[in-house]
Amino acid sequence: MNLPKTITVLGAIVLTGIGWMVADNRYFKPRPVAFTVPKGWPQPVYDFSKNPLTEEGIALGKKLFYDTRFSKDNTFSCGSCHQQFGAFNTYDHNLSHGINNSLTTRNAPGLFNLAWQKAFMWDGGINHLDLQPLAPITAENEMGESVEAVIGKLRADKTYPSLFKAAFGDATISYLRIGKALSQFMLQLVSSNSKYDRVMRGEASFILPERLGYEIFRQKCTGCHTEPLFTDFSYRNTGMAADRMLNDAGRMKITGSSGDSLKFRVPSLRNVAMTFPYGHDGRFFSLLGVFEHYRKNLVPDNNTDPLLKNGLPLSNYEIGQLTAFLYTLTDSSFLNDPRFAPPGYGNGKPPVDIHR
Amino acid sequence: MHTLILILLLLLVHPGIQEKTALQRPVQKIRLVLQHRVGREPLVLGNSYRNVLGDTITIYKFKYYLSNFAVTDSSGNTVRLPLQYRLVDEADAASKTIELSVPVDRIRDIRFMIGVDSTRNVSGIQEGALDPLKGMFWTWNTGYIMAKLEGSSPSSKIAMQSFTYHIGGYRAPYATMRWVTLPAGNRNTNKLAVVVDINQWFKHKTALSIAKTPVCHSPGELASQIADNISGMFSNDSNP
Ligand code: HEC
Ligand code: HEC
Repeated sequence: MNLPKTITVLGAIVLTGIGWMVADNRYFKPRPVAFTVPKGWPQPVYDFSKNPLTEEGIALGKKLFYDTRFSKDNTFSCGSCHQQFGAFNTYDHNLSHGINNSLTTRNAPGLFNLAWQKAFMWDGGINHLDLQPLAPITAENEMGESVEAVIGKLRADKTYPSLFKAAFGDATISYLRIGKALSQFMLQLVSSNSKYDRVMRGEASFILPERLGYEIFRQKCTGCHTEPLFTDFSYRNTGMAADRMLNDAGRMKITGSSGDSLKFRVPSLRNVAMTFPYGHDGRFFSLLGVFEHYRKNLVPDNNTDPLLKNGLPLSNYEIGQLTAFLYTLTDSSFLNDPRFAPPGYGNGKPPVDIHR
Repeated sequence: MHTLILILLLLLVHPGIQEKTALQRPVQKIRLVLQHRVGREPLVLGNSYRNVLGDTITIYKFKYYLSNFAVTDSSGNTVRLPLQYRLVDEADAASKTIELSVPVDRIRDIRFMIGVDSTRNVSGIQEGALDPLKGMFWTWNTGYIMAKLEGSSPSSKIAMQSFTYHIGGYRAPYATMRWVTLPAGNRNTNKLAVVVDINQWFKHKTALSIAKTPVCHSPGELASQIADNISGMFSNDSNP
């Protein structure tokens, strides 16, 4: 090869190299993470093709979930109201606290198995998981902040731009990416390893009261709290008269039709032992309170579900067995999983399981 | 020789080359020029007008989405234009001219949707004109506000004598998207003036009394009635 030729070849190689560098993203290779559907469960409804899970995306989502800069006064994170030891509900709070001593108007539900959920909130008002964070960030009684300001705070941070780059290919911080990263983290919150699940997999067996409780549950509860997710995701009126101060019309607020008055989404009962207080406004402080409602305190109206119109008879004996069964839905490995723990709590200890 | 082949090969894998080969059909540009009015008077934010029901109104905000544009040519063939979503805002003069690339010569009529189709309402976070941060999105009840009209009127009996109408909702039976078809006269034109008359917001199908109904902020029967009124706001400019 003579000199001019060599120069031409080198020149071409350099040009091509620059081309590759300028067309960013081509060397961007985040590590994909597979989403495992537990055996016997339906297919998830979340469209993973639009937001492929990656280790980088999940790590970013977790950092965002626990970042207090999402609130106006930098005191509240998503994790302040969604606490792991309460299966990501607000543990032991009927309503959650927002900034400036405000209160939410509903009980914070646990967050798990969100990949199977089509709509969010007690009234199903939010139709996509990626859109959910907008509601708490902007609500005056939650984080009271504007999304633009959150984006500004994150851009000013030293580490975030590189984390966004690792997850999405460049350092742009947008609401779209914040929403997707938060979803990637929340989609990891799969709870499928309770004693109930192990019994179903043939790895454990119920003790007598649990087994009897399961039989009662299948007769009286699965019409709404359908296995394996323990909800059919429908909206039902369970005869809970509206609290006079909160005056919450439930699903009717979303659809505008009076037939949906006082209907709320059937909540999952997984981890129910940990998610007290119960009901959309947290009015029941214990499982017993819920049972008393079903068997005698219910106030039926025209919209009350046919299954509950005449109350749901439960003897004291049945309540005892049902409670024993509901406790088998506690998934300790989920509640203690260091992958989901707030920063500083993930000590790498293997999850403890109280059933062993 | 093999140097040449090498360079050709390198050029082939060069990332700049691949993306610029999409075929372009010959098209003509046509501009929709939206003229906001109250009756015959041009709308000026902050000025007072008497609306068709006799209420005195001052408007501070007037915004709406147009989308799903299509044209029909003189022989009746309808062509859907590439999907686009436009947020028209009285306060933003540029937003009131919409340029469309139309692959037909003589346009018989032009069709578009007021609002945002349900697909975009259920597909998660969007960007551009549909960015939820544009203020035309409900966070607690997912969905786009298809049109917003805010102002004040002595007829209003609520705080600040205000009225605020945020019209949206994509679920049956109270969906608020509406189709509008406007004749374009089989002309070979590059400009189409469209009058948008705020009076119809208050009157077209159902009378909307500010005294009785100063606020609409959620999907439902009222929103859907007002959406019917909104669909009557658009007409071709009859006296330019
Ligand atoms: C001030 C307390 C508070 C904060 C902060 C908060 N949430 Fe919530 N969250 C709630 C309450 C209360 C509900 C139930 C609201 C309803 O149904 O109307 C809820 C509901 C949800 C749901 C829907 C769950 C379901 O089963 O439908 C998700 C998902 C969620 N929050 C995620 C987040 C994320 C992500 C953040 C941070 C950006 C966050 N939350 C911040 C209190 C909070
Ligand atoms: C007609 C449908 C239906 C039936 C049958 C039903 N539930 Fe429920 N359940 C609901 C709905 C809806 C809620 C939420 C009510 C609300 O807060 O507005 C709920 C709430 C609960 C809660 C509170 C959970 C929480 O996290 O707040 C518990 C516990 C519960 N049900 C247990 C049971 C048991 C046990 C049975 C059977 C004895 C049963 N339910 C039968 C629909 C039903």
